[in-house]
Amino acid sequence: MSGVGPVEPGEGTHPRDALDTTAPPRPRGRLTELYDRHRRATLATATATALLAGGTYLYATRPQPPAPPAPPYPSQVTDLHYLSGEATPAGAAPHSFSFGVELSVLAGPPVTVTRVSQPYAGMSVTSTPKAPFRTSAGTSRKVVITMHVAQCRKVPWNAGLPFLDVTLRNTRAIEVHSFILGQRYAQHLSEALQVACSNGSG
Amino acid sequence: MRQRSLITITAALAAGALTLTACGSRDDDGGSDSGSGGTKVVIGVDAPLTGDLSALGLGIKNSVDLAAKTANKQKLVDGVTFEIKALDDQAQPSSGQANASTLVADKSVYGVVGPLNSSVAESMQKVFDDAKLVEISPANTGPALTQGVDWQTKKVRTYKSYFRTATTDAIQGPFAAQYVYNDAKKKNVFVIDDKKTYGAGLAATFTEEFKKLGGKVVGTDHIDPDTKDFSAVATKVKNSGADVVYYGGEYPQAGPLSKQIKAAGAKIPLVGGDGIYDPTFVELAGANSAGDLATSVGAPVETLDSAKQFVADYKAAGYKEEYAAYGGYSYDAAWAIILAVKKVVEDNDGKLPSDARAKITAATQNVSFDGVTGKVSFDEYGDATNKQLTVYAVENGAWKAVKSGTYTG
Repeated sequence: MSGVGPVEPGEGTHPRDALDTTAPPRPRGRLTELYDRHRRATLATATATALLAGGTYLYATRPQPPAPPAPPYPSQVTDLHYLSGEATPAGAAPHSFSFGVELSVLAGPPVTVTRVSQPYAGMSVTSTPKAPFRTSAGTSRKVVITMHVAQCRKVPWNAGLPFLDVTLRNTRAIEVHSFILGQRYAQHLSEALQVACSNGSG
Repeated sequence: MRQRSLITITAALAAGALTLTACGSRDDDGGSDSGSGGTKVVIGVDAPLTGDLSALGLGIKNSVDLAAKTANKQKLVDGVTFEIKALDDQAQPSSGQANASTLVADKSVYGVVGPLNSSVAESMQKVFDDAKLVEISPANTGPALTQGVDWQTKKVRTYKSYFRTATTDAIQGPFAAQYVYNDAKKKNVFVIDDKKTYGAGLAATFTEEFKKLGGKVVGTDHIDPDTKDFSAVATKVKNSGADVVYYGGEYPQAGPLSKQIKAAGAKIPLVGGDGIYDPTFVELAGANSAGDLATSVGAPVETLDSAKQFVADYKAAGYKEEYAAYGGYSYDAAWAIILAVKKVVEDNDGKLPSDARAKITAATQNVSFDGVTGKVSFDEYGDATNKQLTVYAVENGAWKAVKSGTYTG
C-alpha cells in the first residue's frame, strides 16, 4: 500500500514514553503542586487582578475636568456708586445727614457687607439696611448712609476725594475696600458738613 | 493552550490599558507662537529700555511682546501676524519724540504702547496724533495728558489718539493723602519732588488734599534727579519736625533719598506714588525703609484672578526681566490695540483699509474686554474706566499691599 497515512507514534517516541519511569520522581515544590491543583483558579485570579489593576490605573489617571475657578475676591465684583442726598431717618442723632449709594454685585457668590465706615475722627456712620447685609450676584440695592458729626473740628469740610470704607465678605475672602465716590459725593459731603456744623454745633 | 491564551489576553489587556492611559492622559498644549497670516501689523513700544528706569521699561516691552505672541498663537485676527518694535527713550522727552517720529514713519506700525514717563508722553502726543496713530500708555499718570492743562477747572481732551490703562494722579495723589492723614495718622509733611511732569504733578495733588484734610506742610524742596547726594535736603527734613515725607518722583532717586533722610536722623516714613513702587526702591533704600509707603495703580495682582494667567504665561515665556509694576497694564494696552485691529480688519472684509491707522484709533475708543487688570475700556478723555489704586508698605524687605480703593465717581 502506497500512500501516506497518519503516522502512528512508534514505541518510545511518545514524550511520556521517553521518561525513565523507573527513575524516582523529582520532588515537586508545594507551590507547584498547589498550582497544578488550582491552575484554573489561579489563572482566573491573576487575570482578574491584572484587569482590576489596569482599570484602577485608567480610572485614577483619567483626564480630569479642570477644577472650577475660585470665586472672585469681593472687592473685584462689588460696585458702589453715590446716588444723591436722602432724608435723614427719623430718630437719627442731631448733626446727622444722609445720602444714598447703590451697591451692585457683578459676579460670583453673594457678597455680605459686614461694616461701613469713614475715615474721619469726628464722625460716625450707620447704614440702612444695617450691616451685615447680603447681596447676590447680578443684583443691586440702594443703601442709605447716615453720618453723625460728633466733633466738627475733627472733620475736613472740603476734602477733594473722600471715600467710604466698606468691609466685604464672600466665600473667597474678607476685605476692607475704599470706595472713592467722586466729585458729587465730595460736594454733598462738604455742604452737609457745613450745615451740620453751623451754629457752633458739634 | 488555555493557559497561554489567558496569559496572552491578560498581556494584551494590560498593554491596551497603558496605551489608552498614555493617549488620554493629558492635553497637549503645544503650538506655534507665530501666526500664519499674510499681513504684518507692528505694535511699537516706547519705554526706557536702558538706564535707571529700565526695570519698568523692560517689563513693559516684554508684556507687549507676550500679548502679540498670544494673539498670534490664538490666530486672533485672521490673516494678521503681530510683531513688536521696541525703541528706547531712556526716560528722555527728546528721545521719546524722536522715537515717535521713527514709529510714525514705519508704515507697518499701527499702534504704540508707551511711554513710561508723563514728561516723555508730552513730547510724543502731537507726533502720534498728527499721524492718527493710536498710543496707549500703561503708566502715565499725569492728568493733563488726557484732560488738558486746566484739568482741575475744565477738562478738555487734546489728543484723540492718546489713551492710557493706568489711572491718573488726580486720584492717586488725594488717595495717598487720605491714607497718610487718616490711616497712618501723619499730620506734618515735608514735600519733595524732582521738578518733572510726573513728580511735581503728583506732589501737587497730594499736597492739596493733605492740606484740605487738615494736614500741615512743614517744608518743601526739589531735588536734582541727576544726583544721588541728597544730604542737604535730608538735613532740612530732619530739622523741619515733619512726621512724614512725600516724594513726587521715581525710585532711582527715592531709594537713596529715603536712606539719607533716615541716616540724617529723621526716622520717618517716605511716601511716594507708582514711580517708587518697584523692588529696586527697597534695595536702594536699605533696611531702614521698613514702613515706607507707595501708592500704585490697580489692585494687587494676587486679588486679580485675571492676572494669574498673565503671570503664568509671562513666566513660561522665559523673559529675563520681571514684568514689574506696569506689566499687566502693558499687556492690556497691547490687547486693546490688537482688538481694535481685529475690529477694523473684520469690518473691511478681512484686510486693513488704506486709512487703517485712523480707523484703529477710532476703534480703540470703543474696545471693552476683561483684561489682566480687570475690565478694560476708555472714557471720553481716553482715561481708563477702571480706576483702582493700592497702598503698599515696605515690610520685611518687600512691598506688601495694605489697602485698596476704587474710584467710582
